[in-house]
Amino acid sequence: MTHSKPKSTPKTKPRQKYSKKEYSKKKSSKKTPPNKKRAKKKPPNKKKNNKAKKNSVSLSRILFNRYSLLGLFVLSIIFSGYLFYLNIKITDKMSGRIWSLPSHVYARPLELYQGKYLTVQQLQSELKQLEYTQVKNRPTKAGQFRVLNNAHFEIISRDFTFWDGQQKSQGIRLSIVNNKLSALHKLYSDESLALFRLDPVKIAGIYPATQQERQLIKLDEVPDDLVLALLAVEDRRFYQHWGIDPRSILRALLANVVAGGTVQGGSTLTQQLVKNLFLSPERTLTRKINEALMALLVEINYDKSVILETYINEVYLGQNGAQQIHGFELASQYYFASSLKKLRRDQMALLVGLVKGPSWYAPRRHKTRAVERRNQVLKLMLERGALSQAQFNKYRALDLGLANKPRFSSNRFPALIELVKRQLQSDYDEDDLKSSGLNVFTSIDPQIQAQAEASVLRVISQLEKSNNKVENLQTAFIVASSQQGEIQAMVSDRQPSFPGFNRSLDAVRQIGSLIKPAIYLTALQQPQNYTLASVLDDSPLHIKTTRDDTWSPQNYDKKFSGNILLHKALEKSRNVPTVRLGLEVGLADISDALQNLGVTRNIPAYPSMTLGAFNLSPFDVANMYQTFAANGFNVPLKVIREVLNKEGRPLKRYPLKSNKAIDEKAIYLINHSLHQVTQTGTAKSLAKNLPLTVAGKTGTTDDLRDSWFAGFTNEQLAVVWIGRDDNTSTGLTGSSGALRLWTDFFQRQEDNGGINSFSLEPPAGINKVWIDEKTGGLSEKNCLGAVELPFIQGSEPTEKAACKSAGIIEQIKRFFK
Amino acid sequence: MQISRNHRTNQTFLQIKPGLFLSAILIVLLAMGGCVQPKHTAVDSAQRMLPMVNNPHLPEVIIALINQSDEQYFKHDLSAALATLERAVRIDPRLPEVWSRMAQVYLDQGKLEQARQHAKRSNSVLKNNMALKDFNDNIISGKPMESSN
Repeated sequence: MTHSKPKSTPKTKPRQKYSKKEYSKKKSSKKTPPNKKRAKKKPPNKKKNNKAKKNSVSLSRILFNRYSLLGLFVLSIIFSGYLFYLNIKITDKMSGRIWSLPSHVYARPLELYQGKYLTVQQLQSELKQLEYTQVKNRPTKAGQFRVLNNAHFEIISRDFTFWDGQQKSQGIRLSIVNNKLSALHKLYSDESLALFRLDPVKIAGIYPATQQERQLIKLDEVPDDLVLALLAVEDRRFYQHWGIDPRSILRALLANVVAGGTVQGGSTLTQQLVKNLFLSPERTLTRKINEALMALLVEINYDKSVILETYINEVYLGQNGAQQIHGFELASQYYFASSLKKLRRDQMALLVGLVKGPSWYAPRRHKTRAVERRNQVLKLMLERGALSQAQFNKYRALDLGLANKPRFSSNRFPALIELVKRQLQSDYDEDDLKSSGLNVFTSIDPQIQAQAEASVLRVISQLEKSNNKVENLQTAFIVASSQQGEIQAMVSDRQPSFPGFNRSLDAVRQIGSLIKPAIYLTALQQPQNYTLASVLDDSPLHIKTTRDDTWSPQNYDKKFSGNILLHKALEKSRNVPTVRLGLEVGLADISDALQNLGVTRNIPAYPSMTLGAFNLSPFDVANMYQTFAANGFNVPLKVIREVLNKEGRPLKRYPLKSNKAIDEKAIYLINHSLHQVTQTGTAKSLAKNLPLTVAGKTGTTDDLRDSWFAGFTNEQLAVVWIGRDDNTSTGLTGSSGALRLWTDFFQRQEDNGGINSFSLEPPAGINKVWIDEKTGGLSEKNCLGAVELPFIQGSEPTEKAACKSAGIIEQIKRFFK
Repeated sequence: MQISRNHRTNQTFLQIKPGLFLSAILIVLLAMGGCVQPKHTAVDSAQRMLPMVNNPHLPEVIIALINQSDEQYFKHDLSAALATLERAVRIDPRLPEVWSRMAQVYLDQGKLEQARQHAKRSNSVLKNNMALKDFNDNIISGKPMESSN
């Protein structure tokens, strides 16, 4: 290599660099014709040959001396440059952000105050999810609690940084009586507290593409025995070598030759770290050279303790679904549900043993192999004096001591986390989201989510069991706070933890009768033209859609009721009068109303839109019905409250934003009717199944493909969709499918603490008047067929209807109503 | 050598650029004034503007949160004040006092549309509190009151 260089160099290098003598020699040689040159190769006689040889040797010596030095110089410059590049790469990563820190998503913090609906089980569950430790005696440390007589709690909270600053650990005591928090005091004090905010449950992480979770640990927190075992197994001369260890390489080589295969690696911990952090896993000579160079550079740049700490936090130790387990602390949580500090030495030995092959020795899948490997490590610990013979015998006989379940799961609420990601993506790019360690605070309520999931699991299987023809049902279920539009729970699959297609957000399906309140609202916003007592025509209707085509909408029962009052048509979800009304008020106005209600998709203005023959997602429907639930204030649904950076400094808040686009009086008329839907209309089963005042609307589409129910109280709104992914018939109406799930959920809510009923108190400017149910004319309380309806002031009917006195029984009923 | 060079530099700085130096000081002072001035205005207006809470039926927890948000408000931490008021709304969304305060904070943030919207929300749950209704109506009409006390 060094000889070839000088031979070729003169052709490319400038002549000035030669000495005069050399130059003349070179010049003369150059003048030699090609045939002579060839002749030189076959010398005519020995003397001439010797002379030529002498010339050639001296020339090559000169060239070698000069150009090899130059070549070496150039090479060394290139090599130094390369080392410099590698060094920058190393220091950049190791001095900066070594690991991509996933963003963490938190649930809403539980607010504790007197009068709050809360069961003992709910509080216990919350504390369990927060990983507080239940103690039998008085709690003394942050993160401990005890329960007395199944009603009194003593809790010492942990420090936590909220948006408005750090909340220090505090002791509190509280009592729960009849599912309500009855008293809240400072712990061991009579001083009462108006309010206390528990730290929020961490519910998920948003990970980089590599799905790496991290739980970093400092070297001084790592047990000595683990360090000892690790060095004994992976790198005995860690504190002696400079990143690469020729002795280890030779030893490994020898061992491998003897064994006839790879049984031992000669890589030091530093080399392994370099490989994990900077290099690809392939086995090539270039990578090996790079690995060695970088290992040396790491050793030059960093102290042994930094290298060891980085290794302990970096090393790959297993797989939890799609999520990689990196670092000993996280592995300890994953395999033993315990922090590294609390592990027994045999458990540490297992973790150290896993470094060699986390998949091959996966303890949950290959128990025998894992035990064998652990015992090998224990033996090494024995040899190094970290264990006595008796301890060795004891530990090697032990079971692996694995936790039954991993303490954390990669993502318990996939549908919700998908929503969190989508809402964050407008403010953060994907990389920051997955690597900057953001703390995302949300409105997700784990208690409500658990109830929603339980209802989905129970009702979907019930529906399939009770009807043999019904199978492969799917569902989407959204729960939000009515007034703030904050998402509390979301289920997007009949298997709630399944992270597939997010039906809540992406399943756009026909909404059927869920459109009707928007049409009636459009009409009622014109009180001079329409009231709840307006008479609508429920007789056959034929609409020419094209020259040859006619659309003849039908009612669900395929019957016509003649004249029907507007409120009744909505409550009974009559199709034909709705189409007539929709065409009267105008399709464009209905589109406007939908926009005001918060629907952002473009809705085609065809006559069939009046029966909901257009597609919305369950999330769109929830946005729309939130506006009814909040009396005309549209609040775009959101799940994120605040974002803090990894140090806990506030980055962005997502404030409550309202938009009043609809008159509250018109909304009240609709809500009054939507309440009647749950009393006498298509959802009347609620009147007997739920001890709550609620309002809502069923929705069913052609051939029973989609079953919907959207309903609310002043506090909570929930939308349910049930259908099939192939868009075939479910055999379910809104009442027989979605409503059952909705009812089950609210029953559960009511049982587990309770929620307030929907308020039917009218706003200013509403008058209630008795009218005749048949004609819509003015009537009186004691008249037969009279019903009391709300009217926007000034729109009350003026014509009197004939009054036939109601029977005594009817009058008594009305009196009690 | 070094000392004399420094000396020369200082001399040049003092001799040649005093005008520039004074201008820079002036600009900095003006900028500081620009930053500080509106804050004082915000304090004064805040102290004048917050509506009285005279509802004897307000739960203790809501009063505690209103007090906390007022404290944040007077410390000009408007974002934290809003966050605290949102906590109150989550506990009970039917309290006009809380919505009106939110309207006021939005007004101080210069977010007039949201101020109006929250004043409307306050009105929508308001019963028989004419002072609060006037307060809200003034925000809705874009004519905030000089004083509510």
